[in-house]
Amino acid sequence: MYRLRRLKSQLFTALSIAVAILVFATIAHILLSVAVNGVGVIASAGIDFFVKPPPPPGAGLEGGIGPALAGTIILVALSAVLGVPLAVLTAVFLAEFPHSRFSRLVKLFTNSLLEIPTVLVGMLVYVTLVTSTGSYSILAGAVALSIVLLPYTSTYVERALEMVPATYKEAGYSIGLKKAQVVWYVTSRIARRGIAAGILIGLAKAAGETAPLLFTLGGALYSYPTSPASLLEPGNAIPLLIFTLTLAPYENWHSVAWGAALILTLMVLGLIIAVRLVVREVKV
Amino acid sequence: MARSDGTEVTVRNLRVYISGRPILKGINLRATPGSILAIMGPSGSGKSTLIRVINRLIDLNPSATVEGEVYIGGLNVLSADPYDVRRLTAMVFQEPNPFPHLSIFDNVAIGPKLHGLAKSRADLEEIVRWALEKSQLWEEVKDRLADYPHQLSGGQRQRLSLARALALKPKVLLLDEPTANIDPVSTRKIEESLREIARDLMTTVIIVTHTPQQAARIADYIAVLYNGELVEYGPAREVILYPKNEFTKKILEGVI
Repeated sequence: MYRLRRLKSQLFTALSIAVAILVFATIAHILLSVAVNGVGVIASAGIDFFVKPPPPPGAGLEGGIGPALAGTIILVALSAVLGVPLAVLTAVFLAEFPHSRFSRLVKLFTNSLLEIPTVLVGMLVYVTLVTSTGSYSILAGAVALSIVLLPYTSTYVERALEMVPATYKEAGYSIGLKKAQVVWYVTSRIARRGIAAGILIGLAKAAGETAPLLFTLGGALYSYPTSPASLLEPGNAIPLLIFTLTLAPYENWHSVAWGAALILTLMVLGLIIAVRLVVREVKV
Repeated sequence: MARSDGTEVTVRNLRVYISGRPILKGINLRATPGSILAIMGPSGSGKSTLIRVINRLIDLNPSATVEGEVYIGGLNVLSADPYDVRRLTAMVFQEPNPFPHLSIFDNVAIGPKLHGLAKSRADLEEIVRWALEKSQLWEEVKDRLADYPHQLSGGQRQRLSLARALALKPKVLLLDEPTANIDPVSTRKIEESLREIARDLMTTVIIVTHTPQQAARIADYIAVLYNGELVEYGPAREVILYPKNEFTKKILEGVI
């Protein structure tokens, strides 16, 4: 009996380790492929890879992802400005008033937003913003991305706030703090790491999305955003560029796409590491 | 804000229901300034609920219904703005819960700072020092005010929670089994602090305690709750030496 139990236990442990290795191997394979294929392209183009537009189709590798890199940075920043405050406030509302009818409605809405294909978000922004302004634009892309990040960030931030032990909230109220003060000075500070992670996950999602940009951003391959007015003009982003370059039948564009994928991966990893370093964990 | 000079706590015919179930069944009692009232009773008798009505923390429980009257001085607790009630009261909880993200100094300073009780940094430092001295923690932390609560022992953390409460100079100090989970030395220091606070500041102190010994050591009055009812209430000496109620006797004997 004991032997059978031990055998079962060992089998289960072996299975768990095997699955963990499988997951790790998949991620490692993706990262390694991106690194191996991307490093060479970036090395041969040098600094031009970060500032120049893509090379002409079928030519060499003397070009880069300049407009798309600039576009991604602007898009992520703009969608953070548009989406993060709304997502955090939604999360605070859901965490603080979990039982109200309106919060149940909001929760249903954010959960639905989490489930719907992001291409539909792109279509929604196309129908409303792109058609009314008459042009694809960085702004339209940012609006679409801010809608995409909203449910991710709000769900993570809400969970982070809920995880703060009730006793600290009670302590805040017991010294006469008002609800907003308890949220601002107590719960959000204790949950700061979870909140930062939630914002980061939303931004990483926004940085890596292609579908919402298909009908909104315009995919301008060669023009750079140069002034605030550029926000109302078509732009590009790294994921959209990768999509465009990969679909084209040109070897040199495929190579640039690998380089772009490496940069995108490093940007997201860099964000995650930066937050881990900057935001200290609160020891309870 | 309606407030009279007195800070006596008066509870009249207090009934509390949680999810429709009666938790307190018509409680009447008084706690007077400068004295310590100990509330005793077995687990589930409604002790914690009673003090959470006095500072309206009961509002955080959406399934609680409260009936009756509670006054702090002239302030009608149940009809007043809960934030006005909590400006008069402060509370120490069973588990030490200083804010983990704030330094020792800031834990004590947060209340006075946000309520505008200090006009200058020097004022604030004075309040923090005073509160830490009153809670008998100053000597242990005066050189490490920038440290965080996780660097303190459990007993020190609880005294820090007491200092945070005292920094607001509350008229009513509520304590929910504050020494249940801490070392004997900190327990003694907290008990000494409470006697001093009641005596010197004329604070009304209400402490929930599980142990008759603690009630005997510090209380001026004792109220005994059993199953949501007040079964005995009177001067501590009388309740301990000549308990009238059967449940009180059992509680004093440690049977329940």
